[in-house]
Amino acid sequence: MSPQAIPRLAPGCRLSEDPRRPGLLLIPEGELRLLGPGPEILRRVDGRRTLAAIVEDLRAAYPQADPARMERETAAFLERLWERGLLRVE
Amino acid sequence: MTGPRALIAELTHRCPLRCAYCSNPLRLERNELGTASWTRVFGEAAALGAVHAHLTGGEPLARADLAALVRGAREAQLYVNLITSGIGLSERRMEELVAAGLDHIQLSFQDVDEGAADEIAGARVHARKLAAAEIVRRYPVAFTVNIVVHRRNLDRLDRMIRLAEELGASRLEAAHVQYYGWALENRPALMPTRAQVERSLALLAREQERRKGRMRIDYVVPDYYARYPKACAGGWGRSIMVIDPAGRALPCHAAGVIPGLEFDNVEQRPLEWIWEKSPAFRRFRGEDWMREPCRSCDRRAIDFGGCRCQAFLLTGCAENADPVCSLSPAHSLVQAIVEATNSGEPALGWVYRSQP
Repeated sequence: MSPQAIPRLAPGCRLSEDPRRPGLLLIPEGELRLLGPGPEILRRVDGRRTLAAIVEDLRAAYPQADPARMERETAAFLERLWERGLLRVE
Repeated sequence: MTGPRALIAELTHRCPLRCAYCSNPLRLERNELGTASWTRVFGEAAALGAVHAHLTGGEPLARADLAALVRGAREAQLYVNLITSGIGLSERRMEELVAAGLDHIQLSFQDVDEGAADEIAGARVHARKLAAAEIVRRYPVAFTVNIVVHRRNLDRLDRMIRLAEELGASRLEAAHVQYYGWALENRPALMPTRAQVERSLALLAREQERRKGRMRIDYVVPDYYARYPKACAGGWGRSIMVIDPAGRALPCHAAGVIPGLEFDNVEQRPLEWIWEKSPAFRRFRGEDWMREPCRSCDRRAIDFGGCRCQAFLLTGCAENADPVCSLSPAHSLVQAIVEATNSGEPALGWVYRSQP
């Protein structure tokens, strides 16, 4: 995924807003329990921000994290969702 | 105890279609819970742990308050899936449903050819379903095309896959008829041959690979041809809860056929009590009820002995192993049905489901 790519969740996929179930990605006929930074990444996936802007925002929120690793892991996480048909990329 | 993962809400048994394999019970329910009761039930289900609400019927669009029910389920923090024939879906209603928070729509088709589709549905509906799909595809919801497959249409599976793709679906669910209720009555006309099933599996493997990343194809195989039974409903009282139109809570949609079970009603009891303590939900939960060969079987935690309803319908006793299992002492009953299906012509006629 290029830094200029704009990801958004596919129709029918959304993060649960239920405080009883933090980090739950709801999808047709199932759900994915997101671990680690997954929910923080997806909260920034809004169909407007580029991958570069999402990473930039995460860096500002987590200044103590390794920036190169954050970029790699964010791209890898979004690519896994895309492969499963849960993410669209412009 | 963990709660149900999904609530299956049979909002009504009314339906403009009369499909010969309808999964509704033979004795259809005329009473229907009101909007407020359903909304309360959605909240109770979410508190119990449910994540998904499947709004089904009959035809859910037959309820004038469907958008309010979608909103109620969504506000209870559930993922809202509508299972519909599409009959009654106008642009205006689709707009209302999406505004109310609909996440996923599953639109049924009976076949790819209008004549064959309308014949099995017992109503002139195919063209209206195509029109409904044109509406659905323009809205930001997940879109699944559902087709029930059987002896009469299974050889057209390749064209069904193309139809789903042309309609813009992100997923196709091709599910074999399961023989309960109306479908059991019509099994001699509906059950496919082994050769048909084998051809369909080969076709499916190719098509799933070709369409990877574009359209998912889920295939529900016919259990009469399987070696081991399906883990029916994910195990009795383990992962789903069905509420019928009148508010009775069932461990699966067919459970009403088993004699001696009484189903508590959500108007009289809290959902949590029904799930945890009601006799019907506890009846076949866990392993204490099992007989041999299930009781000592290595697969008992995988398929839970198969389907209790099927065990009752075919052997007359719900505690027996599901006779589709090759390990069941009553498996010869299923083998005889398979044998008859593969050695002769299918029955020509069928009975259509009636109205509540």
